[in-house]
Amino acid sequence: MQDRRAFVMQALAFAALGMGPVAAQAAPLAKVKALGVLRVAVYKDNRPWSWRQDGKLLGIDADLGAALARALGVHVDLAELMPGDDVEADLRNGVWKGGLLGFQPADVMLHVPFDRGFAARVDQVAIVAPYYRESFQFACAKGQIDCNAAPSQYKGRKLAVEIDSIPDSYLLGTGGGVLARDILHFPMGFDAAAALADGKADGVFASKAQVESALALRKPANIALRSMPMPGFMSTGWDIGMAVKENSRNLGDAIEGLLDAMVKSGELKEIFARYGVTWTPALAA
Amino acid sequence: MKERFRRSMAGLAAITLALGGVSAPLMAQNAPAPAGPTPNGPTDAQLMDDANSTGDVLTYGMGPRAQRFSPLTQINAENVGKLVPAFAASLGGEKQRGQESQPLVYDGTIYVTGSYSRLFAFDARTGEQKWKYEARLPDGIMPCCDVVNRGAAIYGDKIIFATLDARLVALNRHTGKVVWNKQIADYQAGYSATAAPLIVHGMVITGNSGGEFGIVGAVEARDVNTGELIWHRPVVEGNMGTLRGKDNGITGKLNATWEGDQWKTGGGATWLGGTYDPDTNLLYFGTGNPAPWNSHLRKGDNLYTASTLAIDPDTGVIKWHFQTTPHDGWDFDGVNEFIPFDATINGKPMKLGAKADRNGYFFVLDRTNGKFISASRFVMKTTWAEGFTKDGKPIVIPAGRPGDPAAAAKGPSVFSSPSFLGGKNWMPMAYNQGTGLFYVPSNDWGMDIWNEPISYKKGAAFLGAGFTIKPIAEDHIGALRAMDPKTGKIVWEYKNKAPLWGGVLTTAGNLVFTGTPEGYLKAFDAKTGQELWKFQTGSGVVGSPVTWEQDGEQYVAVMSGWGGAVPLWGGEVAKSFKDINQGGSLWVFKMPKG
Repeated sequence: MQDRRAFVMQALAFAALGMGPVAAQAAPLAKVKALGVLRVAVYKDNRPWSWRQDGKLLGIDADLGAALARALGVHVDLAELMPGDDVEADLRNGVWKGGLLGFQPADVMLHVPFDRGFAARVDQVAIVAPYYRESFQFACAKGQIDCNAAPSQYKGRKLAVEIDSIPDSYLLGTGGGVLARDILHFPMGFDAAAALADGKADGVFASKAQVESALALRKPANIALRSMPMPGFMSTGWDIGMAVKENSRNLGDAIEGLLDAMVKSGELKEIFARYGVTWTPALAA
Repeated sequence: MKERFRRSMAGLAAITLALGGVSAPLMAQNAPAPAGPTPNGPTDAQLMDDANSTGDVLTYGMGPRAQRFSPLTQINAENVGKLVPAFAASLGGEKQRGQESQPLVYDGTIYVTGSYSRLFAFDARTGEQKWKYEARLPDGIMPCCDVVNRGAAIYGDKIIFATLDARLVALNRHTGKVVWNKQIADYQAGYSATAAPLIVHGMVITGNSGGEFGIVGAVEARDVNTGELIWHRPVVEGNMGTLRGKDNGITGKLNATWEGDQWKTGGGATWLGGTYDPDTNLLYFGTGNPAPWNSHLRKGDNLYTASTLAIDPDTGVIKWHFQTTPHDGWDFDGVNEFIPFDATINGKPMKLGAKADRNGYFFVLDRTNGKFISASRFVMKTTWAEGFTKDGKPIVIPAGRPGDPAAAAKGPSVFSSPSFLGGKNWMPMAYNQGTGLFYVPSNDWGMDIWNEPISYKKGAAFLGAGFTIKPIAEDHIGALRAMDPKTGKIVWEYKNKAPLWGGVLTTAGNLVFTGTPEGYLKAFDAKTGQELWKFQTGSGVVGSPVTWEQDGEQYVAVMSGWGGAVPLWGGEVAKSFKDINQGGSLWVFKMPKG
């Protein structure tokens, strides 16, 4: 904690002198403009949101971060964040404190769940600008299985999921575990969806964005999307927004304004479409 | 739950087999060619004899069996009250945090690792720094549980330690210059390394520790002179091992205790390293708990997670296993050190080993074959099991198993003791050959655990569990306990307000040393537990003390520097250490002259 105190004291000292520390600390709007850089934290290995391909950082969140910086008239500094045990840890590392080994906090972090109950637990940050409604989607190979059947009927079929995701827990627990031997685990939901597209699985249960982007990329024939809800499924979806440091609300306000404009101009929808994902407005938006 | 918490405390161990020595080891026919006499430094034989050589400390655990026992008696229960500091040495800089290291002492030099993957060489007579090495760490590492390191290994002209970015670094012990530097796992996939290496048969033998999910615990052997991989042994059944680049048989039997493809990502990280017994020529490694955390989703015993494994050091083949927590659902890693010792049980002299497990039980096994001898509770309360049967199976209390997050939106809260931080965590115990007792640094605490309807991870909805760690006694959390391995009885205990988080040293001088978060290094009478001496080091002590003889005088050394995993958890437990400051110093003690 001593480190943090020193950090705060230093920040206060700078504030008293009326000058911002040059190091990239989370900064309100004026400081971002003065420095000419918006530091944006995105998750590492989170396709289709932010991932590296041939060394280049791609994805919806990467593009959105760049678009926000452009709209502010500053350069973007995209910072890839290694996810921790939970989003609380990610907010600590990515936004309000920084990493133990020198990871500098970002001005804004993308892909933060926008949920009132959650927001109340993380009072060091303000969660703003909900920009997408995420949910889980089941997809299957037409003719192989009935996409709208009760999942216990999929016994003996290969079902792809992201390890330890809600769909993983749901399918493993279905019917007292009758599917447990049939589930294929992948480190990322995108890979699970790609397995369906590549004919290596008969079904996939992953986030809508993961499923849509993998299918859009591979363009497999004979894929159906489930339209019925999974019986007793635990998640109806969640909104995704952004986080700024609690004392950077004016930056958050500015970003909300920019996001509104991107919605109106169709730019946001276009960013999603680049990765094959249908933009769905957040419920809270 | 806090998967990463446990796994990120990486495990490394390297072992070197004694070629000569007092007790002739059983050498395997296909043992690799001995590395031969090593230039300018400790040989395999010296490492194996470390427990008997009082003029140095060459291995983590003060001998390959890691008994942490010294035959020295110059400092003893009669005179320890006069012990005074000889010098202290600061690790300096702004990098403080937890100092969980055990010093090594050789050739007039004290080698000690520090937080943030640093290694220091201090003059053993003056405390002056000879050199230091600071690993350049990528700023993207997000260590779950502090930036600790537990110690180095020495061999010939090299000193070897593991770094937080999952590398193994060999330095020239005279200069601190890098001899070789090998990546042993991918830090970007969440792997790390913090355990002290162990060297056997000229090989550095390491465990692994890793991030969230998708990992399989493994033990690996590398050539101590080059860092090249010799063998790899996954600890979860179904996974293939290798020896010199070729397949060397799968671990266990495919799908015998795992369903579907869960064995591919079954957990079992070996993050605390291992021990070695020259008598049986076996490595002993503990394995972490299985993944995913929710036990309701993985039926079966999930071998070989939460177990102790005996491994052939020459081939990496598993010789036996004993699972301390079958089908773990409480987050009870089985990584704790297995310490070989000999004792007479029911009139029969036996080669045994003991392990104080996260799950609150002290196990004694026949170390030649893994046969169960006894399991005795060493903490105040275990809510998950009533005890163990004669066959070594836990008598599980069904109501003590946390609920299935997939089954109910918000399940009832279950009280579980020990907490997931364990009856004993990483901190190593000690065995005194004179008293025949083990000295176990333990903690009495529990946790409320409940299903969280929805939590978030990597920006996505996720089924989680909420938990709160809390004390279960009015007057203490930590307890140093003397256990009689023959009877399973607690002979004496010392209670400490804050959780104990440091290693233990015991000596033929009828002494037991350990540190406290309150900043004291303390000495106790090994037979009675009476506190005989204490010294305030200025910050919490979470390292492991050592002792040696130099210029005719006996010395004791320990690292001071509060940190590790405990301060990361708040609640009631945090009240016991809220006023403790950080630090980073080596303290060295001896008797006053005259």
